[in-house]
Amino acid sequence: MTGNYVARRVLAVLLGLAGLTALSAAPARAQNLTVADVGVVISQAVTEATARGRLATIAVVDRVGNVLGVFRMTGAATTITVSSGRGVATGLEGAAIANTDTLLAIAKAVTGAYLSSAGNAFSTRVASQIVQEHFNVGEKQQPGGPLFGVQFSQLPCSDLNLQFPGVATRGPKRSPAGLSADTGGFPLYKNGRVVGGVGAISDGVYSLDLDIINRDVDPDEVIALAGTNGFDAPIDIRANRITAGGRTLRYSDATPADFRSNPSSAPAFPPAGGALVAVAGYANAAVIAGQVFGAAGSGYIPDPGGVFNNGRAFVLENAAGANRFPPTAGGDAATVVGGAANVLTAAEVNSILRHALDVALLARAQIRRPLGSYAQVTISVVDTNGLVLGLVRTPDAPVFGTDVSLQKGRTAVFFSRTTAGAEITALALAVDYIAQARSLIGPTAFADGIAYSARAIGNIARPYFPDGVDGQSVGPLSRPFQQWSPFSTGLQLDLVSTDIANHLTNPGNATNAAGCTGLAAVAAAGGSNRLANGIQIFAGGVPIYRNGVLVGGVGVSGDGIDQDDMIAALGLYHGGKGNGLSNARPAVRSDNLSPRGTRLRYVSCPFTPFLGITKAQNVCGVI
Amino acid sequence: MRRRTKTVGLSGLASLPLILALAAVSLPVPAWAGKEESPLLAPAGRSPGNFGIPQPGAVAPIVAQDQRRPGAPPPAPPRVAPITDPGAVPPPSPVLPREFIPIPDRWRLIEAIGVNERWWDPYNQNTLKGDRPLWDDWFINLSAISDTVYEPRRTPIPVGISTTRRANSVDLFGDTNQNVFVETVILSASLIKGDTAYRPPDYEFRITPVIQYNRAEVEERGVLFADPNQGTVRSDNMIAFQEGFIDYHLRNVSDRYDFDSIRIGIQPFSSDFRGFVFQDIQLGARLFGNRSNNLYQYNLAWFRRLEKDTNSGLNDIGQPLRKDDIYIANVYAQDFPVVGFTSQATYMYNVNDESEDFYYDKNFFLQRPATIGDQRPRKYDVHYLGLNGDGHFGRLNLTGSAYYAFGTDDHNQFSGIDKSDIRAYFAAIEPSIDFDWIRVRASALVASGDKDPFDNREEGFDAIFENPQFAGADTSYWIRQSIPFIGGGGVALSPRNGVLPSLRPSKEIGQSNFNNPGIRLLGFGTDMDVTPELRLSTNFNKLEFMDTSSLEFLRNQADIHHDIGYDLSVAAIYRPLFMQNIVFRLSGAVLVPSDGLRDLYETSRSQDLFYSVLANLILTY
Repeated sequence: MTGNYVARRVLAVLLGLAGLTALSAAPARAQNLTVADVGVVISQAVTEATARGRLATIAVVDRVGNVLGVFRMTGAATTITVSSGRGVATGLEGAAIANTDTLLAIAKAVTGAYLSSAGNAFSTRVASQIVQEHFNVGEKQQPGGPLFGVQFSQLPCSDLNLQFPGVATRGPKRSPAGLSADTGGFPLYKNGRVVGGVGAISDGVYSLDLDIINRDVDPDEVIALAGTNGFDAPIDIRANRITAGGRTLRYSDATPADFRSNPSSAPAFPPAGGALVAVAGYANAAVIAGQVFGAAGSGYIPDPGGVFNNGRAFVLENAAGANRFPPTAGGDAATVVGGAANVLTAAEVNSILRHALDVALLARAQIRRPLGSYAQVTISVVDTNGLVLGLVRTPDAPVFGTDVSLQKGRTAVFFSRTTAGAEITALALAVDYIAQARSLIGPTAFADGIAYSARAIGNIARPYFPDGVDGQSVGPLSRPFQQWSPFSTGLQLDLVSTDIANHLTNPGNATNAAGCTGLAAVAAAGGSNRLANGIQIFAGGVPIYRNGVLVGGVGVSGDGIDQDDMIAALGLYHGGKGNGLSNARPAVRSDNLSPRGTRLRYVSCPFTPFLGITKAQNVCGVI
Repeated sequence: MRRRTKTVGLSGLASLPLILALAAVSLPVPAWAGKEESPLLAPAGRSPGNFGIPQPGAVAPIVAQDQRRPGAPPPAPPRVAPITDPGAVPPPSPVLPREFIPIPDRWRLIEAIGVNERWWDPYNQNTLKGDRPLWDDWFINLSAISDTVYEPRRTPIPVGISTTRRANSVDLFGDTNQNVFVETVILSASLIKGDTAYRPPDYEFRITPVIQYNRAEVEERGVLFADPNQGTVRSDNMIAFQEGFIDYHLRNVSDRYDFDSIRIGIQPFSSDFRGFVFQDIQLGARLFGNRSNNLYQYNLAWFRRLEKDTNSGLNDIGQPLRKDDIYIANVYAQDFPVVGFTSQATYMYNVNDESEDFYYDKNFFLQRPATIGDQRPRKYDVHYLGLNGDGHFGRLNLTGSAYYAFGTDDHNQFSGIDKSDIRAYFAAIEPSIDFDWIRVRASALVASGDKDPFDNREEGFDAIFENPQFAGADTSYWIRQSIPFIGGGGVALSPRNGVLPSLRPSKEIGQSNFNNPGIRLLGFGTDMDVTPELRLSTNFNKLEFMDTSSLEFLRNQADIHHDIGYDLSVAAIYRPLFMQNIVFRLSGAVLVPSDGLRDLYETSRSQDLFYSVLANLILTY
């Protein structure tokens, strides 16, 4: 079967299904956390903490990251130390900042809410499992976690994720420290829908799990799990029923058998022994109700103008209740090779987004149940300055992918620019990552127009190179393993570490949140910079070319990384046809580079990519 | 001991022990059942006795002689009668005492007629082959086998995850061509103290060193080695001890030499007639014997397993023993229920206690625990109850096997539940009928599959160490080739030289896994003795999973079909000199995919014709 044949076949199916989409769209039942619900969650967690003799700080958020209540037990540790427990001293490791208990509890709650959906319930323990140097951690010679680097998304400096106060209830909201790998963060469900998350911290340490073989009894996890009582994730969609590469994900080591209290008989809110606290930049000392995800005010709404002509298209909502990122033309005519003629048009952006959405709606989800679900993702298109030209998502895509899809799109286009090396070098970071990369790849790396996908950047941003192969060499954009941990990743963190540290120290200071990275502001990017929400170092973003000229990037996030890759690459392939838009020509892709015999991968599409409709397996050869 | 000829897979011939594998393939276990002697290594038939005979040159003139026992005093000379007739002929002289030279055995008799042994000739009388004693009644039997395998094949194979061999490898399923070359030299020496042909030897000491070179070549990285930068070609060699035991004849229990013996050391054993559950050469102690004129035979055995070398599959005595014990009790009844049919009942108990550290193979793939499910280490206790039969009912040849496995898995890697129950079954039957030079054969096999990956029952049948001589055996694609379960974890869909889709990292090193889809096989085949030198066999097997829920779970993929496909194979076995010392085998197989396989793998490209060719030359001394 030739690639073209597959492409035609897939396209035909895409078109055929277009008419069905409206029928099969399953609108989310309206669900949200009420004020009473938030009180119950907090009370249950506090009661368990009390029963265990722990002093905890508890946070509850809604699905889009609004902080609904933060409760600190009297005497709870407020200065939290960041530590992987491996003796690493770089990056955020060792940071012990006052009053971060509330912020880090929020980060844990946000993680539970953001990683989860009606098809998958993921906890911070899952996050810990998928961001380490091996997947699974402890199994040598295996590549890094599939979402390697995802902890540095939803950053407080993100230009996409919004802040409180000032934007009311619309999400997605930032997380004070990105996503959390510290156990003790869970999603909250009502009637099968994610309505938020709960995070607890009582041990004074913000860490992760280095050994997933054993069975921890982690007080934070038990306390947070008690909080989920009555709002617990449906058993069939919990991470431990979902596989990646045949490995199940670890939802929780704690079980209700570990409870020392009976959460169902927890006292009415407020429980004794503590009080609600205000968290500058996040919450008042009060409980508020969560938003109904997908309804006006939540920041996530069905495509209001129907610009994507798809009943399952969802978009972000702006303050006026309209599409926050409707397809628009690129703003980079001044810098794109060939000028205005090559700039992405609004129609082209729309076409890429629509086709990528269509691919997603046909794709076999890797991280969702029931089996047979389609992939749920967010798709972002940016121009060469990282300006958001459009964003669309499936109805129930996990929220984390909103920010991450933009990170991936920006990462792909940024590093494919011939100025990438110079721009990073100009930051004079503590480590000269570009010099390291040029030493490995060649003296012209990041200046020669080679097309890098997010996957390719990920290949060289891991503590082992090739990825996961212990002890051979170090990825040039990474710290070496002795200095590496999920709190010290290398270039990715170093670009934003000042932003994070400043924010954790003074979360109420809005000037600390003006856009990530110290890169120079670009007027054409709306005054922001080209990596204004940080870079991402796992797969799912590709640069966009017009007749060989770099004109933008597309990023996808929300399902398995191979699904993300396929949706980006095939979406661009189908959406760009007829416009002269395409993926990078094979000859300029990063996978022609083979430093030290290790080819940098460009795109990797999944096995059994589509649901039922076709038995096609290798479908991406067309790109 | 009575030796039975088994119909094995293709044929008795095809099951010649030395179908050696390649990479990650064990030394195929000899086809003889555990309770039987090696056809290769057992002393050839010999005659008892150690009486001397007069040397030809010492024979007296042809005169009448008294006969007497050697060494007995001569009779007194007869009294001499008075001479009464000087002309009479004198009476004969008595035979006088004189020296005679005894010689050590009667086997040298034929030298008297000019037949001298040649050390390299195993087909005539040969001291090295156990035809004549070294001294007293001690015999030695040496053998040497060269087994050469060349095996081009195609299996589904993934491109590397962290890096790939070729640029623009944007899809998961890579180039499928592979080939394997394996040269194995098997040397064996037995020292045997025996007496007569009518009873087993008193002692046997055997050692079987094996030297192997193997080479595998594939088209993608990360397949032969976990480290993708180690390339796409792998050469390895191994010196192993496949056998090393002492066999002691404890006693005879009847006038017809029914006996009890014990054998201690690395020894072959087969759980049943076809090697469905445990057929291996392992370290153990085995008490065995027979009763009632060999109508009944029994085995009581305990094995503690040796680690296998990764790339040769041979025993690696340089590593610590596995924490895996097998206890076996079985009894065979010949001519039961009818003359010509042997029945066997067996109980096996496999106690696996490998729940501690990670164990990687030589290529740095994790073998224990399997990279599958929650990857938590586990141990298990499994009991196997089996009934087996082999023989014929009139013209109908029949082999059958049935097992029920039950026990406890300390941790279910799929559901995450500790203390899961193992409940699984297996049955196989193979009737055949001979029409002159053609044997026509049907095969049916069923191994239960797990129905729910999330409950606390594991219902997929898995063996301890299978080596099935069934439905074409290693001629068949499905049985011969290991197919990686791409996307579903670090396991194989089915093992090499195995029929069960057991989702283990390997048959040789991995643990049994009872969370598997199970299989049913329906096959039809023929064995044709075209000429005395040439046998042709054909096999056609239809394969289906029993329950694909475990596959669906591991791949997060709905609706994986049951139909695996059709396995078509043909084999030619050529013995140019009409004997087993030079055997050439050429077989080819194709797996024609059905929906289930299409659901799992890329099957649409021209290079996705999954075939397997096996060229095998066995030279035996």
